[in-house]
Amino acid sequence: MKKIIALALVLVMALSLVACGGSGSSSGSSSGSGTKISVFWYDESDVYLSSVRDALNKELDALDGIEYDNQFAANDQSKQLDQIKTAVAGGAKMLVVNQVTSGAADTAEDILAAAGDIPVIFFNRAIGTDGSDLPVLEGNSTACFIGTDAPEAGHMQGKMIGDYLVEHYDEVDVNGDGVISYAMMKGDEANIEAIYRTQYGVEDANAVLTAAGKPALQYFDASNPDCYQVDQSGAWSAAAAKEYMDTNFVTYNEASGNMIELVICNNDGMAEGVIASLQEKGYNKEGAHVVPVFGVDATDNAKALIAEGAMTGTVKQDAQGMAAAIAQTVNAIAGGKTPADALASLSDDRFTIASDCATKLYVAYAPYTGE
Amino acid sequence: MGNPVTTLRRTAEEFKTKDAKDKKRYIVDGILNNALYILMLIFVIYTAIERPNFLTLGSLANLITQVAAYLPLALGIGGCIVLTGTDLSAGRVVGLTAAIAGVFLQKADFANKMFSSLPEVNLFWILATMLIVVAIGAVVGLVNGFFVAKFSLHPFIVTLSTQLITYGIILWFFSLNGNNGQPISGLSAEYKNFVGGTMFRLGGVSVPWYVLYAILLTALMWFIWNKTTFGKNMFAVGSNAEAARVSGVNVFWTTVLVHTLAGAMYGYSGFIEGVRSGSVAASTGLNAECDAIAACVIGGVSFVGGTGKISGIILGVVVLRLIFVALTMLGVDSSSLYIIKGAIILCACSLDMRKYLVKK
Repeated sequence: MKKIIALALVLVMALSLVACGGSGSSSGSSSGSGTKISVFWYDESDVYLSSVRDALNKELDALDGIEYDNQFAANDQSKQLDQIKTAVAGGAKMLVVNQVTSGAADTAEDILAAAGDIPVIFFNRAIGTDGSDLPVLEGNSTACFIGTDAPEAGHMQGKMIGDYLVEHYDEVDVNGDGVISYAMMKGDEANIEAIYRTQYGVEDANAVLTAAGKPALQYFDASNPDCYQVDQSGAWSAAAAKEYMDTNFVTYNEASGNMIELVICNNDGMAEGVIASLQEKGYNKEGAHVVPVFGVDATDNAKALIAEGAMTGTVKQDAQGMAAAIAQTVNAIAGGKTPADALASLSDDRFTIASDCATKLYVAYAPYTGE
Repeated sequence: MGNPVTTLRRTAEEFKTKDAKDKKRYIVDGILNNALYILMLIFVIYTAIERPNFLTLGSLANLITQVAAYLPLALGIGGCIVLTGTDLSAGRVVGLTAAIAGVFLQKADFANKMFSSLPEVNLFWILATMLIVVAIGAVVGLVNGFFVAKFSLHPFIVTLSTQLITYGIILWFFSLNGNNGQPISGLSAEYKNFVGGTMFRLGGVSVPWYVLYAILLTALMWFIWNKTTFGKNMFAVGSNAEAARVSGVNVFWTTVLVHTLAGAMYGYSGFIEGVRSGSVAASTGLNAECDAIAACVIGGVSFVGGTGKISGIILGVVVLRLIFVALTMLGVDSSSLYIIKGAIILCACSLDMRKYLVKK
């Protein structure tokens, strides 16, 4: 009996190996002998990047002579470098990389060193902060970056919040003290986009409020000098945001007269968590008071929440645009262009080449408060 | 053991003398006991047919480099498993020591250097840093071992606690001196060369120096496990702590030292980790212990305690890395990768336990 169980176990294992091997050989290739490219993602569970991946897979499927696969690093930079080296050893002809440690130009250099002569398209997660990506991009003719102008989403979110508050000030100010107290959910302590969004989401809103003669926003917890709460696992997760909100509610609620009157989130995932918490307490439902919650990304879930009135606004990070930009660049480079020429050849008003670097392409953001 | 050819001949003769039923059982047992290796072989052949690049020197260099990076952690954690314990703090200790090593060895002219008044980076300071981070790892291990031995707490609980404490320290460390949680980069060229510089090239792919260090560490651990009183005591405590105590083994110090040694190995892993990923972030080392524990159990270091070999741990790491490299080359999606890894760990451990059940 024991032997039969053991044999069955071995069979299951063998089957899983064969089944997965089988799916591997057929996955994502339109033609067998095309240019082989590998796409590396920092994590599989990121909501926004999943919609980029969905769109990108469709775009790449439509291209002739491109064979591709997707690899996920589970938020582990060493693992991603191992994957890249393995793909290079396996004969990949182009790498599309969503670097795990954003803002580390040295890591980008290591990726380029591992890639050798193979072109590398970095995307989404910035490879350097405050211009430290420029030497990498300028020093390596095989590299280019497709992403967003990191501060732009924060500026856009801040302005949207300011405009909304000016119009709805008294309605938002639940306790009527004339000041709006806010909570801020930060996605990741070290991510440059998170840092800019956390900063400008408040600063720009305050600029609009001050211009309209209103007092600046006030962080709800005076004893927290950071003025934000961060997902400590760096995963921008709804769960972390919900836990913070649940905890905040214990001390800061309508009965005590110190209710949080506005919640700003670094992304829509966290906004969803905040809304789930608010709804449990009886807010942000039909017929109830709606605490304005703002996110970034315009995921499908966020759009649905905005449509039903539970969420107030988000900044559309254009997943289709990002995917289109990557696919067109891949196609141009596969056709023999250099990364710089490939970016220059794109003609689409959703994309702009950065003013400081010819191998850096920005996909535009747009405010979103419902169709 | 003696001459392998004679052994083989003797086995063959023994096999001939068996009757039909015994012969069948012998073959089935043989297949089951080596199922993992047979499957790996099939897997390697399949991958090599699908992706000819898999069997090149460059690919081998890539595999060796990865094995060398993951091996020290598994060697450290192996000792804890021999004591029927585990260590959940390994990954975070790697993160902490990687961060400290990174900060100590940043470029002198780096704009975001965290501490400006550090010694100039030279060979002496690199070695000193290595010793410092190994010592820091050892201190965490010492704390683990002390609580396990002194209060008879299960290592799972103790190391879960130290894992959290260590992560707290990491987050605090990353916000020091206005660093605001930014990744630590700008590692000095001397440090990078010392760890990740090219030792030699194999098929055009660089084999870094840390492969050599991993070999040296493996030799050292083999010596400690097999040739020292401490190593023998470790196995004695692992198989039966009470019996070991009665026969005069100091169980307290053996437990403390096994964890301290493990911690030192995590410290070394942290020392090379920063160079491997080019920069250190607060999430560096997250879940690293999972791969290390998996490698140990695949390699036959049993949670039953008292059994395990260095060669088994090497094999376990090789199997895991082989799966990783092969599936990456095949372009298999990561969800299947996790499923396969899980299935292999489950099967390897079931087959391992089967040996004990048969004995009973």
